[in-house]
Amino acid sequence: MTDEELAKDLGPVAALTIGVGTMIGAGIFVLPREAYGIAGPAVALSFVVGGIISLFTALSASELGTAMPKAGGSYYYVNHALGPLFGSIAGMGNWMGLAFASAFYVIGFGDFLVSVVSIPAVNLGVVSLSAVQVAAILAGLLFIGVNYVGAKETGTLQVVIVITLVLILTAFSILGFLEADLTTLRPFAPSELGGYGAVLPGTALVFVSFLGFAKITTVAEEIKNPGRNLPFAVVGSVVIVTTMYAILMIIMASIKPWQELSAAGADPVVEVAQLSFESVLGLGALGSGVIIFGGLLATASSANASILASSRINFAMGRDKLVTAWLNEIHPRFATPYRSIAVTGFIIVFSLVAVDDIKVLAKAGSALHLIVYGLLNLALIVMRESDAPEYDPEFTVPFYPLTPILGAVFSFGLIAFLDPIEIGLSVLFVVFGIVWYLFYARERTDKRGILSRYVLSRSSELPDAAVSAASTVQPDGGYRVMVPLSNPESERDLVSLAGSVAKANGGTLVGVHIVKVPDQTPLESAREEYDFDEADRLLEQARVDADELDVDIETHTVLSHRSFEEVFDAAETYNADLVVMGWGPDSHGSPGRAESAFEEITHALPYDVLVLKDRGFDPSHVLVPTAGGPDSDLSASIASVLREFCDAEVELLHVADDETEGERFLREWADERGLGDATLTVETGDVETAIESHATEASLLVIGATERGLLSRLVRGTVVMDVVDDVECSVLMAEQSRTRSIRKRLFG
Amino acid sequence: MTEHVEPLFSRPLLPLANADDAELTCAAAFPRIAAAGGRASVVHVIEKAGGAPDKASVEQREAVADELFDIARRAADDAGIDLHTDLRFATDVGDAILDAAAEADATAIVFIPRGGRSWWDLFSGAVRDQLVRHSDRPVVVLPAGTDDDGGSET
Repeated sequence: MTDEELAKDLGPVAALTIGVGTMIGAGIFVLPREAYGIAGPAVALSFVVGGIISLFTALSASELGTAMPKAGGSYYYVNHALGPLFGSIAGMGNWMGLAFASAFYVIGFGDFLVSVVSIPAVNLGVVSLSAVQVAAILAGLLFIGVNYVGAKETGTLQVVIVITLVLILTAFSILGFLEADLTTLRPFAPSELGGYGAVLPGTALVFVSFLGFAKITTVAEEIKNPGRNLPFAVVGSVVIVTTMYAILMIIMASIKPWQELSAAGADPVVEVAQLSFESVLGLGALGSGVIIFGGLLATASSANASILASSRINFAMGRDKLVTAWLNEIHPRFATPYRSIAVTGFIIVFSLVAVDDIKVLAKAGSALHLIVYGLLNLALIVMRESDAPEYDPEFTVPFYPLTPILGAVFSFGLIAFLDPIEIGLSVLFVVFGIVWYLFYARERTDKRGILSRYVLSRSSELPDAAVSAASTVQPDGGYRVMVPLSNPESERDLVSLAGSVAKANGGTLVGVHIVKVPDQTPLESAREEYDFDEADRLLEQARVDADELDVDIETHTVLSHRSFEEVFDAAETYNADLVVMGWGPDSHGSPGRAESAFEEITHALPYDVLVLKDRGFDPSHVLVPTAGGPDSDLSASIASVLREFCDAEVELLHVADDETEGERFLREWADERGLGDATLTVETGDVETAIESHATEASLLVIGATERGLLSRLVRGTVVMDVVDDVECSVLMAEQSRTRSIRKRLFG
Repeated sequence: MTEHVEPLFSRPLLPLANADDAELTCAAAFPRIAAAGGRASVVHVIEKAGGAPDKASVEQREAVADELFDIARRAADDAGIDLHTDLRFATDVGDAILDAAAEADATAIVFIPRGGRSWWDLFSGAVRDQLVRHSDRPVVVLPAGTDDDGGSET
């Protein structure tokens, strides 16, 4: 527990400075000249509008962040709620958006740098770089280098930088206020620029100044007491910077008329600082010096925080297998995600060299962020509506559903006010995200969105189009076999059975130990008090057995007030394709009273289930009775797996009225399923007698559920088939997924 | 002088920095621990910035810890010794290792020097220095890549 506290060491102020530090950057130091040119003094309103749009998304991000304090932030929420297709769009969009924004920040840095030191322009023959570009590239390389080597001091330095910045800008505002002449502000919204109609295009330009509040959520896992501190930092940083921006824009425009501020070659912040420091303190040079210093700090801290945030997004994408694990290797010496930082760095430097007008790129970066923000608001709605049991935010947005709906509408809506080329660029990257999903991520990721689970689990109520859309975008990779383990005696048998199936499908084994906690004990305190030795031993044994089979295994201990029903929740949580469980008097406890809820689960079973009635697992002679039908397909594939991995001898049994007819059917059935060389037996007469008599020689009987509801009958304690109790060998009962067969029907 | 002197390798603590380090350290130390009939503790310290964002995600660093503890577990199985693993979060790696040693009542702190001649290697150099200077128990530096002759050094 103390380890957890140590791992979370970001206090409210540190979290706030991440947001404020990223947002106060190139936006306010570089853009004002152009911003006044678009809307005149009314551009202060553009900043206010930007702040309001951000505020809606900030509230949504806070709720999602307190519910899921995981590394990766916005990307993680979108992927979790909307699935890996939107996850790919959001992840790639967020990553590229950050890289472009960083390029813009270092250009701002370069701008300030060339005003203090002289830096030569470079002509490389193929490309010629201006002095500003050279300075920007040097600065970019420096920031990337710092993050690559990773000194823990940079984080602390960031806090100092942000506090210095806020002090500088506050001093600037106060001195400016003493000099302000409100008549200079008139007309507030100049008619030659389109009056108040120019406010929204102004917002589109300056929105890049608001990218930053969501970055706090990328380090959510490190924040102390996230339930309180995360919303405070995210919402607080938006409120602080919006207020500062609006005040600064008003003050600057009341000291110098906007026409002068937006004149070509003007540098409003520096000029106004010089003026106000001169007339109030008589120290004009100090004013411009301090502002240039502030500009350097601001752009540096924005770039630094963006590079750091992008490596978190890379990591979160790698965790969901949307990018290769190679990217997220930790450097053995520096303990930094060095490859991710280097790749991001390459993108930044490349865009610095390749793109002339970096503002276009910065605005494309804002457009990408706006898309991510829009998706984030939708993700919140999905999480709320799907009523996922694990979704339990400590902070909830006010006025739901209005807040996230407006957040999404405003975010997507603002994109319309950008220039066509910027919209085009961002669309290009959305397409890139989709292509990335279809050709790279789809076959690798095993993550499914809450949305598609929600749609698939209600397949009977929702229109077919929605269901088929949801099932076509399912990830196909990563076959996962879950084994709930409860008692040490049957553990080995279950693991070897499940392991063989996993191995045959090139998949992963998921060992889950469910610890039943008495209802009166809260789960939280059980987590602290419970003795996990037994669970650890059981799971350790499972790991050893899986190692022997050479199958990948992951293990989880789940605390629950329920035991049997929890198996199915766990199967959902760990994205199981197949659940292999034991069945016996003390296998999984007795089911609770929540029968109706259980009916719902088995009604739309999203995975295959094998239930082993274990009387000593021995797959040497496997008997598979079949009458055709979907559930015997699963039996057949299990039989082939056992034959391949356990050297099982497979016998197929069909009971028919007419023997020649029966032989023809069984021959065909066996050939279709690749079991042509198995022993084929055809009997006439009573089905159960036939099965029982052949089972005396068999070591394992594999039965498909002949009708729906094997599991629900097991739960109620009524016997499925007398056969199961009458035979002496182990029995494996197979029930095929219901939703998957829907998909099969639709897509073959 | 205490009456009862425990062998150095009866309950040593091994700080592990990364996968390669774990591989080398375990290969060099475990046979010696087995020969002394001892058991081993391994510790990995996740360096925290202490109130500022870390250089890498905590979860990412924990994955690294899992990986190197796995290496140690396998090596301990091969050598037939008991293993205790300890994951710590701290702003000062050296201090955390010393704390771990005190808590495990380690008979020695055992490590293999990791290069460290490069100019930027202030970090691991500093940790090594701190272990050597401030440890209240023996510090054993093993050579990397020697034959595992299993000689105990009591």
